[in-house]
Amino acid sequence: MDLSGKSYKAFLERREALKKQYSPEQAEKQHRKGKLTAHERISLFFDPGTFEEIDTFVTPADHPVEFGKVERTYGDGVIVGYGKVNGRLVFAYAQDFTVMGGSLGVVHARKISKIQEMALKMGSPIVGMMDSGGARIQEGVASLSSYASIFHNIIQSSGIIPQISVIMGPAAGGAVYSPALTDFVFMVNHTSYMFVTGPNVVKEVLNEDVTFDDLGGAGIHARKSGVAHMIYDDEENTILALKKFLSYLPSNNVENPPLVPDDGSAQDVCEKLRDIVPDDPNKAYDVKDIIQLVADRNSFFETAELFAPNLVTGFARLKGRTVGIVANQPKVLAGVLDIDSSVKGARFIRFCDAFNIPIITFEDVPGFLPGADQEHNGIIRHGAKMLFAYSEATVPKITVILRKAYGGAFIVMNSKNLGGDFSFAWPTAEIAVMGPDGAVAILYRKKLAETKNPAELKKELTKKYRDKVANPFIADELGYIDEVIDPAVTRKKVLSALNALGNKWVKVPERKHGNIPL
Amino acid sequence: MLIHKILIANRGEIAVRIMKSTRKMNIPAVAVKTATEPDAMYLSFADEVFDNTDDTSEIPVFLDIEKLISIAHSTGANALHPGYGFLAENAYFAQKCIENGIIFIGPSPDAIYKMGNKTIARKLAMQNKIPMAIGSAGNIADEEEALVFAERIGYPVIIKAASGGGGRGMRIVRDANEMVKMFPLAGREAEKAFKDPSVFIEKYIENPKHIEFQILGDSHGNIIHLYERECSIQRKHQKLLEEAPSSVLDDTLRNKMGEMAVRIAKAVNYHSAGTVEFLLDSEKNFYFMEMNTRIQVEHPVTEIITGIDLIEQQIRIANGEALQHRQEDIEIRGWAIECRINAEDVQSGFSPSPGRIEKMSMPDYPYVRVDTGVREGSAISANFDSMIAKLIISGKDRKQAITRCKMALDKVWIKGAKTTLPFFRLLVRNQDFQEGNYTTAFVEKDLDKYYFNSEYEEMLAAWLATKLFIEENLQADSINVDFSEGKEMSPWLLNKRMNQF
Amino acid sequence: MNARLQINKLFALSSENRKFSFRVPLTNKIRIGKREYTVRLKTDEKYGSYILWKNRRYPVEIVRSRQNKYEILFNDISYVFTVETPFSLKRMKMINTGRGKSRHESVKAPMPGKLIDVLVREGSPILRGEALVILEAMKMQNEILSPVNGTVLKIHARPNTNVMKDDVLVEIKTE
Repeated sequence: MDLSGKSYKAFLERREALKKQYSPEQAEKQHRKGKLTAHERISLFFDPGTFEEIDTFVTPADHPVEFGKVERTYGDGVIVGYGKVNGRLVFAYAQDFTVMGGSLGVVHARKISKIQEMALKMGSPIVGMMDSGGARIQEGVASLSSYASIFHNIIQSSGIIPQISVIMGPAAGGAVYSPALTDFVFMVNHTSYMFVTGPNVVKEVLNEDVTFDDLGGAGIHARKSGVAHMIYDDEENTILALKKFLSYLPSNNVENPPLVPDDGSAQDVCEKLRDIVPDDPNKAYDVKDIIQLVADRNSFFETAELFAPNLVTGFARLKGRTVGIVANQPKVLAGVLDIDSSVKGARFIRFCDAFNIPIITFEDVPGFLPGADQEHNGIIRHGAKMLFAYSEATVPKITVILRKAYGGAFIVMNSKNLGGDFSFAWPTAEIAVMGPDGAVAILYRKKLAETKNPAELKKELTKKYRDKVANPFIADELGYIDEVIDPAVTRKKVLSALNALGNKWVKVPERKHGNIPL
Repeated sequence: MLIHKILIANRGEIAVRIMKSTRKMNIPAVAVKTATEPDAMYLSFADEVFDNTDDTSEIPVFLDIEKLISIAHSTGANALHPGYGFLAENAYFAQKCIENGIIFIGPSPDAIYKMGNKTIARKLAMQNKIPMAIGSAGNIADEEEALVFAERIGYPVIIKAASGGGGRGMRIVRDANEMVKMFPLAGREAEKAFKDPSVFIEKYIENPKHIEFQILGDSHGNIIHLYERECSIQRKHQKLLEEAPSSVLDDTLRNKMGEMAVRIAKAVNYHSAGTVEFLLDSEKNFYFMEMNTRIQVEHPVTEIITGIDLIEQQIRIANGEALQHRQEDIEIRGWAIECRINAEDVQSGFSPSPGRIEKMSMPDYPYVRVDTGVREGSAISANFDSMIAKLIISGKDRKQAITRCKMALDKVWIKGAKTTLPFFRLLVRNQDFQEGNYTTAFVEKDLDKYYFNSEYEEMLAAWLATKLFIEENLQADSINVDFSEGKEMSPWLLNKRMNQF
Repeated sequence: MNARLQINKLFALSSENRKFSFRVPLTNKIRIGKREYTVRLKTDEKYGSYILWKNRRYPVEIVRSRQNKYEILFNDISYVFTVETPFSLKRMKMINTGRGKSRHESVKAPMPGKLIDVLVREGSPILRGEALVILEAMKMQNEILSPVNGTVLKIHARPNTNVMKDDVLVEIKTE
């Protein structure tokens, strides 16, 4: 080819025009909002020099009616492509707010669909970085239908490749369903919002004043709605965390999760574990202290940390292998199961099951949260989700009962007859139909009413109940748990159980799909 | 010797300390092994260990009177040292020991009882013309009486539990409104803590110094004092640092206070080691507060400046021997400072910070004495007090003691729990402390809440945080992921997995 | 176009807003005045992990790290830092100037329950982590701790009363 020839010159001119489109002024505008540009996000995310962009030079579709203006720009407001993240193939798209507010037009959507289909064909994870004003009004119904194709693709890929959304700007109206359908949602504090109807409409319809942040900011979605799983204070930390997060996940539902060599600093026998659960059953402790000591050092990555914190979920590694952790948190609400924590747990368990990630459950649960509020809002059907998810999961399932394991909650939290593979209990475990106070009150109601000193009798009966009923030894002798273990050897026991379960396979009955109580 | 074997009815640092003296005196000592800490350090100092790990009783053995007596009998111990805390100031326990033919190494049950009940102790002090803060002659029955009395002596006043002690069960009241709120609370609190709701009221001395005198008395009627300890460095009535002597007393005042201490001890025919506590106001008026009828945590500073082994003296007295020293033999030589290194988080209001001691090394200087009951691997559990070690420093004068204390503190190395070390490192560098210019309010009011003692330390911590951030996030190989592992699996599993989809 | 985001400087921001800046790549040389000193992170059997600085050992421990937030125990004192890039620091300043600093902290009940005891008084100074009240819920006694350093402004909680979730228990004026 003649490098001074006409065709090469046109090639260079186009590149020059593209450069102009992404001018430093445009970038500055984005920076002033506290946001990075789409290109900066992409370059931070992928390993240096590995990103390949496709459809760089596509231009917006012509729209049938004259209404508003469409800028003739390259790329149509979204960057799509693939590259390596920590050495593995990952597909991604990043909406570009500097081009027509990142609005979703037909071409824009076609690019996203294309990359989604490629990711599915290749069995590779896909990440979407959202920063968009929503559907492109000028393109009308065509734009809306394009959303539908994107949603359809996400649903087709669900459970086959990990799909992750990162909200780095606005996501309003229909656009919110794209992240909602994916497996995990990251958000950036202060600069990202998600809502179906924005503050202006709320004001118009309901005459209610509400700010962007209060309606759909990262904090609200992380704490209250549970839509966002991970939130960070700025985009750099969000992207760095995302890269770390991906290192726990396999590329697809056939592969096993990757291995990250363990530095060997976690002790297989750790005496500190004996000191964490207090002797007094009414005292709280932080279950994360236990997780940290059982998992490889610094390997615990908590998901949905701020939503329903009475149940801890997250990924960790054991001798380099990814496991999913589900743990009751006695520090919050005594670790009780309620609607939010059941939903949170169920979704996490199903993700682990889909992607061959073994589940380790740390159990210290006093029961389900009582009260009219919970009953009326459907704790029955929400609690059933957790039960369904545990029972349905075919990945290795290991439970460590730390302390309380009472009633329905004991059944739900991966009991053996629900398909749990191994159940270990610490000597502090109390496994029974209900706690001592409740049991004594019911079984000895008459006696308590008759006695002169009910407090004294109650104390005595409570002690008797603890000695005779609420302990791990009866369950052990009846075979409902596998072993009562010294807390210090928990990691060792869990590791050998995991090794034994390495090739676990369960034949699932053939069916279209089960019917989880949604 | 009458005493031929001693049961140590205590644990931790004080058990170790007592056994150091029994070993020196060639008396066999029995320690009790509990299920809570079967590997505790004090057990290795004992000549004989009684295994009580099978005990399923809810009461800890060191509070179980019957059990302790039966242990003494079964091990053939004819004397018992209660240490401090637990049953050390329980008159009933002392009585029970005596009834069962066990020598209680401490004062008589009568003395314990009289000094333990603050109302009786106040009466005794009054009869013996010991200066005291103005206060109610007996217990205050109700709110109304409290209001009338407080009005008469003037606010602020302090409500104290009659059976209290050691700083517990006290409430300062500054006006009538507060009195209405606080009085019922104080009663309930006293009931809960000491099983005795009775309280009395005293004039509250603002910003006093806490000065206490060490007493030794024998069963032949000899009582001497071993001079004072200054314990004003305290927080919420918990002592943190003690020294001997005090820099505010001159010889006249010292002798006067010493005399008073001996006088109150004589009033109860005190025999054993004991401590008379005074408050000293800014005008150098002193007021009797209470007498502790046991060995104190801070006894080592007195041992350093007088050269007398207090535990040995306790045992000799219990053995019926007469005091070896006369008052005029006792001399103050040099200066001693004790820092209580506790497992507490000084940055979070000195809240307990239990943990397991991973690494521990203490300075090895001739002028440093370390009294401890823990070693590497020991757990500091929430079940017991949070003490890790007492660091006791001696010098020829206060200035030298403080300089040495600074050096010694920098050499203490403890990993596994947050400790009070930062507090002491800051304290010994504080000018007011160095000049002896402080009262019991000093720690809470004047001590800076930022604990680092050189501007570089925070910078070095920042460097470490940055280093970690880079290692975890920015280095190319920060996450060393091996994806091939995920792709290689046993054909058995791969086949089945592939066939399902 | 492919604007590669280069991070060549990092800031460690202390919880009291002191800022320490470090060049990336990070070296173990720190310049103070005219002299340069070497800082080393080491671990051995006798001392555990420590930092060696000017011939002295300082014990160090990483208490916890979350996102870019690190709590470090250095010489028995804990320090909390967030590590910021130049851009994230700028962003933080921008966002902070947009909002007034809240001087009040309302401590709310995290769950419904019965108040057992109030451990502080109005007007008393309080440190972060100090227990404010004891709340019994689900048969557990939970200490509700102060999230900040400050002074107790108002106590809404009364012992032996029941509280609902999110009831304000104590108001604290932050420093």
